[in-house]
Amino acid sequence: MREDYLDLDDQRSSGGEVDPDLINRLFRSAHSLKALAGMFGLESIQGLAHHLEDILDSLRLGRVPMDSPLVGLIDESIHTFANLLECVGDPEALAAFNEPVEDLSNRIEASAKETSAGGELESLEIDSALLRALTEYEEHRLRESIQRGRHIMLVGSTFEIMSFDEGLSELSDSIRAIGEVLSTLPAPGETPESQIRFSLLVATDLNIAELTETLDFPDADVQLVREGAPVVELPTKPAESETAPQAAVAPELESLRSISETVRVDIHKLDELMNLVGELVIHRASIGDIAARLTALPQNAQIGLELSKIHKSLDRKLRGIQSAVLEVRMVPMRQVFDKVSRVVRSLRRDLQKDVRLEVFGADTELDKLIVEELVDPLMHIVRNAIDHGMEPVQERVAAGKDAQGCIKINAFQRGNHVVISVGDDGQGIDRAALIARAESLGLISADAELSDREVLNLIFTPGLSTQSVVSETSGRGVGMDVVRENVMALGGAVEVESIPGRGTRISMTLPITLAIVQSLIVGVGEHRFAIPINAVHETLLIDTSEIQHSEGREILDLRGEALLLRSLAKEFELDISRSSEKQFAVIVGLGEQRIGLLVDRLEGQQDTVIKPIQGSLKNVRGFAGATELGDQRAVLVVDVSSLVEDALSRRESA
Amino acid sequence: MSEVTTSSDEAREWDDIARAAADRGDSSESLDEIHQLLSFEIAGAPYAVPVERVREIVRMRPVTPVPRSSEDVRGVISLRGEMIELVDLGRRLGLGPIESSRRTRIIVIKTGDDEVVGLLVDAVREVMRISDEAIQPATGSDTGAVSDLCKFEDEFVSMIELDRVLTLDG
Repeated sequence: MREDYLDLDDQRSSGGEVDPDLINRLFRSAHSLKALAGMFGLESIQGLAHHLEDILDSLRLGRVPMDSPLVGLIDESIHTFANLLECVGDPEALAAFNEPVEDLSNRIEASAKETSAGGELESLEIDSALLRALTEYEEHRLRESIQRGRHIMLVGSTFEIMSFDEGLSELSDSIRAIGEVLSTLPAPGETPESQIRFSLLVATDLNIAELTETLDFPDADVQLVREGAPVVELPTKPAESETAPQAAVAPELESLRSISETVRVDIHKLDELMNLVGELVIHRASIGDIAARLTALPQNAQIGLELSKIHKSLDRKLRGIQSAVLEVRMVPMRQVFDKVSRVVRSLRRDLQKDVRLEVFGADTELDKLIVEELVDPLMHIVRNAIDHGMEPVQERVAAGKDAQGCIKINAFQRGNHVVISVGDDGQGIDRAALIARAESLGLISADAELSDREVLNLIFTPGLSTQSVVSETSGRGVGMDVVRENVMALGGAVEVESIPGRGTRISMTLPITLAIVQSLIVGVGEHRFAIPINAVHETLLIDTSEIQHSEGREILDLRGEALLLRSLAKEFELDISRSSEKQFAVIVGLGEQRIGLLVDRLEGQQDTVIKPIQGSLKNVRGFAGATELGDQRAVLVVDVSSLVEDALSRRESA
Repeated sequence: MSEVTTSSDEAREWDDIARAAADRGDSSESLDEIHQLLSFEIAGAPYAVPVERVREIVRMRPVTPVPRSSEDVRGVISLRGEMIELVDLGRRLGLGPIESSRRTRIIVIKTGDDEVVGLLVDAVREVMRISDEAIQPATGSDTGAVSDLCKFEDEFVSMIELDRVLTLDG
């Protein structure tokens, strides 16, 4: 908002035209500030925002001229907001602002009154906002209708987005039977996500009661805009003044047009598009395959080469479409973070904890579907951090910490993944309490020797985390198993770090998109599997003699670190007649955990569209779905996160 | 590649069966409710499923076995990009595996939850029109997979209880 204001001031002082979009943006900022303030009961902010919204609205609609005193008022308001927002949570400091805020509100109101002189168009006694949305033709029809003494009504109705065109044309048709639809305008206002509201400007000889009755649309509401009179003296406009208001309207119309350059698209339509692209990807692979086979035959080599050329250019175009469609699906994390900060504010009130939220990387983009699935886990983690992670103020002060707790949310891209971490500076996880609880529930044996990571990972154990008692004593753990489940379902991983007395950090690693992913195709015996490339860290050619053994487990010395190996053949109990001396180790993992998967062959990388397997097979652990590589044969996609988890938990129990 | 047919072939096959069924639906229609059932063979015996649960019938195609799944699941097939579980109906009914032949077919069945599952059978016969009175309860079914029998052209056809069959495992 501040930046927009600075731009506004710049544009104005440089004497140029003020961009109507800018005022619109300021107006919207004021509006959402008002709504937010209302939600949290911050009356002084709400009041001021309301007044600011009014004046900006008038400015936006050209009802008041932009002059220095007005700009000064806007500047002052923005300053005051900044001051007010800093004092949120401190009622006394807020109260101190009451008087200046009121004074400012009054001055804004006065300035709005002073300047709101009616223009020529107002002589029609019709809301100028409405008039400005009309095209020249529609305006002409409006004059005509008034001259004929018709009543001018506004019929508003709300439709489901999915079927609004049908509903709207039905409504329009029934109005046409009794009058004229002058204009159909999308109406602003509070409507649920899935609905859209339209206002129809109608000229009719019927009065409001008659119209309502005749229409018989339960959802439609009718509002009288201007009563018709038998004879109306219309100000007949001289030709030169005809153009004047038109010019004033032009920028507004332009801004309306630029708003409509964005389209709301049902995410499922994007899915459909993505599916089609996915199928094209499969066909492309088939064409490539055929081209290669043709080229290999001497008599067809020429045709083969020509086909490969076409295949290459098809490949480039397809990649273009792919990335365009993917881009459309990407949304910034900001949407989710805004929700989180609202929750933090209300939790702060409900739990009486003094916590501030710091957010980094709100512009990091993720697939819309992933973002949606992420809201719940993220909320959960943040709630836990405030509820259980933060110690009471006295304890914080005694420990030499800032009385106000701090939750840091950080989102950043790492390769094909986005990492979202939630850190707090609270008391950290009480390991002893966690172990005690897990023992009492029989989740671990009393003499189990667990590494620190294994202890911390206990918070993800289902039986344990549903116990709210534990969360109060150990600090955390309500529903963390659900969080992990949700994140794993997205092909991601969750990790926890915690330093006693210093705080806890929970990190989620997620793929950027689920739609089309590059996969590494591996071969084991006659079987082929796809491993999503975003889970692959590196591949090594190893000699079986390099494999070391410990308690029946296979281990590889990877630059000094012991890496647990799992053979895919053994893991999936495949019939392999003989395994070769040379094997490939595919180092996979999400987040920090790694294992090596042993395979016979690497067959290259391919774009894959991972589809769920329909039927009961989707419950088989170890597979994320299946894909097709162009030969009409299904290839199973390995679910790396479950394999890694199984391998590492087996190590724990060993 | 030879075992893979084009979708138009499949469509024709399905159309032929449907048309034959429609032709037989003549004037003899009584007031009883008429059921349309698709009949097929397993181990020489006739079985049937309601036509409205059948999405399509396709020929045998490459199957990818799925580790860690039960034995009567052949694996996954790719049907125009859709990944579909293929159940060996012979095995599932305890009649031994379906042997591939020229007549082997996959009946693609709609499950309740907007998905499909393939059932592998020895051969597909025809669409039968059966009135209520031709149906009688089956007794002594081992798996509960056959709910009723219906009499059709002097032969008892076993009616498959799809929802039961699709959830049976192992």
